[in-house]
Amino acid sequence: MKQLLLTKEEEKIFDGEMGEAPKIAIRLLYSLGELGEADRLIPIKSAHISGVSYKNVGEGGIRFLNKISHKVSVPTSLNPLGFDIENGGPVDIDENFHKKQMEIVEIYKKMGVMDSFTCTPYYYYNEPSFGDHISWAESSAIIYVNSLIGARTNRESGPSALASAIIGKTPDHGLHKDEGRKASVVVNVSDRLDYTRFAALGLFLGAKLNKKIPVIRGQKSAEGIELKALSAALSATSSIPMFHVEGVTKEYRLICESPEVIEVGKGDIDETIGKNSSQQEPELIAIGCPHLAPEELDYIAKLVKGKRKVGPDLFLFTSREVKAKSGDAVRTIENFGGKVFSDTCMVVSPLSNNYSSTGTNSGKATFYLPLKGYGNQKVAFMGIMDLLKWVIA
Amino acid sequence: MIKGRGLSPGKATSEVVVCDQLISPLGEISRDGFITSGPCENTNIIGKILAFKGGRGSTVGSYTFLELKSKNIAPAGLINEAAEQMVVTGAIISEIPMVDRIPLDIFARGDRISIDGTSGEVTISDVKERKVATVYLTHKGKLLLLKRSDTATSFAGQYSGISGYIEEGETPERTGRREMMEECGIRDASLKKIGNVVYVRSNGTLYEIVPMLMETESNSVKLNEENSSYTWISEEQLGSHETVPKFKETFEQLKFRKK
Repeated sequence: MKQLLLTKEEEKIFDGEMGEAPKIAIRLLYSLGELGEADRLIPIKSAHISGVSYKNVGEGGIRFLNKISHKVSVPTSLNPLGFDIENGGPVDIDENFHKKQMEIVEIYKKMGVMDSFTCTPYYYYNEPSFGDHISWAESSAIIYVNSLIGARTNRESGPSALASAIIGKTPDHGLHKDEGRKASVVVNVSDRLDYTRFAALGLFLGAKLNKKIPVIRGQKSAEGIELKALSAALSATSSIPMFHVEGVTKEYRLICESPEVIEVGKGDIDETIGKNSSQQEPELIAIGCPHLAPEELDYIAKLVKGKRKVGPDLFLFTSREVKAKSGDAVRTIENFGGKVFSDTCMVVSPLSNNYSSTGTNSGKATFYLPLKGYGNQKVAFMGIMDLLKWVIA
Repeated sequence: MIKGRGLSPGKATSEVVVCDQLISPLGEISRDGFITSGPCENTNIIGKILAFKGGRGSTVGSYTFLELKSKNIAPAGLINEAAEQMVVTGAIISEIPMVDRIPLDIFARGDRISIDGTSGEVTISDVKERKVATVYLTHKGKLLLLKRSDTATSFAGQYSGISGYIEEGETPERTGRREMMEECGIRDASLKKIGNVVYVRSNGTLYEIVPMLMETESNSVKLNEENSSYTWISEEQLGSHETVPKFKETFEQLKFRKK
């Protein structure tokens, strides 16, 4: 096995000469580098950190964050939290949750992290370029930037991305090298998929492939938004860091010798959707996991413009920056009777405080929301047109 | 003792809980110490050594272990078949010993085990470990199968290769050649390959098997009392024979795995 060699400067950090927080950070990177058989640390251009919602971080997490608290050394964006800081909602929060949540936000602020509060920081906040070495957490964002942008990050955990942000480096292994980005499975998908069916493909493949990188064939007209849906669902149900789509993503020619081949038919997708949809009318329609892009808000605004709202609540989730830049669409949706939240989402807010059933087009939310003691929701997983049928008179 | 890879330092001894599934520690492990989905749904992991395939899902999953630890309801140790960063991070920052590269099927329900997160060693209490060499002997494209005698102390009546316990100070190859002489009367064969160690658990015994592929010039076989019959078969015929555990997949591994 390769030995990870530290530079003289890194050794000093390792020995604690630069303080306790950098010592904890570099020791974590060192251990993970050994796991990945890296031989050195390499500089990164940016970091993105998950582990913000009090629901996920908890008391143990707050203690850890206080211990590792230190200025970050590269541009670093941050994941969503348990509620919309400026506008409140989407659900009722007790005083303790509010207090603990703001404590976490303050720790990150002190570290110099951006107040992006989004799982799609690649819109406006923190957009990597092709070939950049970065250290990102948030499973859906990792797979998106590796696959669609061609930036290079391993599947960092919240704490390891934070450690990298502090040190400004990451262990050089896995997705940072061409070899680690090669597809080992060819997935032939016959029907042209839409957003929700791409999400369903993610749920179907994630459980099957575990950690193998797939190259998807037969989807040459796939759009970025649709592949964002695939990214989130695939990475929720597996530890896959990247996928390729023939004719679409930038590195789809990176394939191993003699890959495995899988056929996915219409029936597999139909079955995945059917299995995850209770037929009852949900109390809430939640869209925006991952957070919505401007064109998604525009699309939904067109569908509801001038219509009368009935039935379940309609909540949309995006980032502050996207919401601010999509003023017209947001007004149209709110005039209709829907609500647009930023800073948070249906997965990381304590949704079960107010709701027991949710309809969504997100494969990722469909994985997390039904889990007992976590989301506690009955879920209806279906396409956006079917979801909107419940709320448009 | 089974040697895996140490990932998070520390030692632990407890009952093992085996979950033959991938787990997202966010959501699939509850904040009160239970598995919430898959084959192990509703299983309590508090103070146990949790053995599962590997992590999946949210990169925030590391914090679940920290939260369980802060409430004193964390698992005592973690074992993965193949670990990824998120679970390892959780183990390290929560100071839970962790080892990977351990097959899950070596454990039986209720086993008490010890793990060492530095050396990567895993020990199952009250289990006898036996080191075995198994020769897959071929002759012009055919594979030799021996039918174990009906009075054999293990796997009686099943088909196997040429097998025997590795004795003190013996190399696996030497054991293989000795057994080939004793069980089949074959003296000359050339060693083609030694495969990766395979573990087979059978009740109170854990067999650590070193498989090897050898080719012989002659197909004449003289059996001793350990086996009741023999047959030279083509690869296609292997499927229809009742063989000892993991025999067929080990043969595949020996034949195809590139160096």
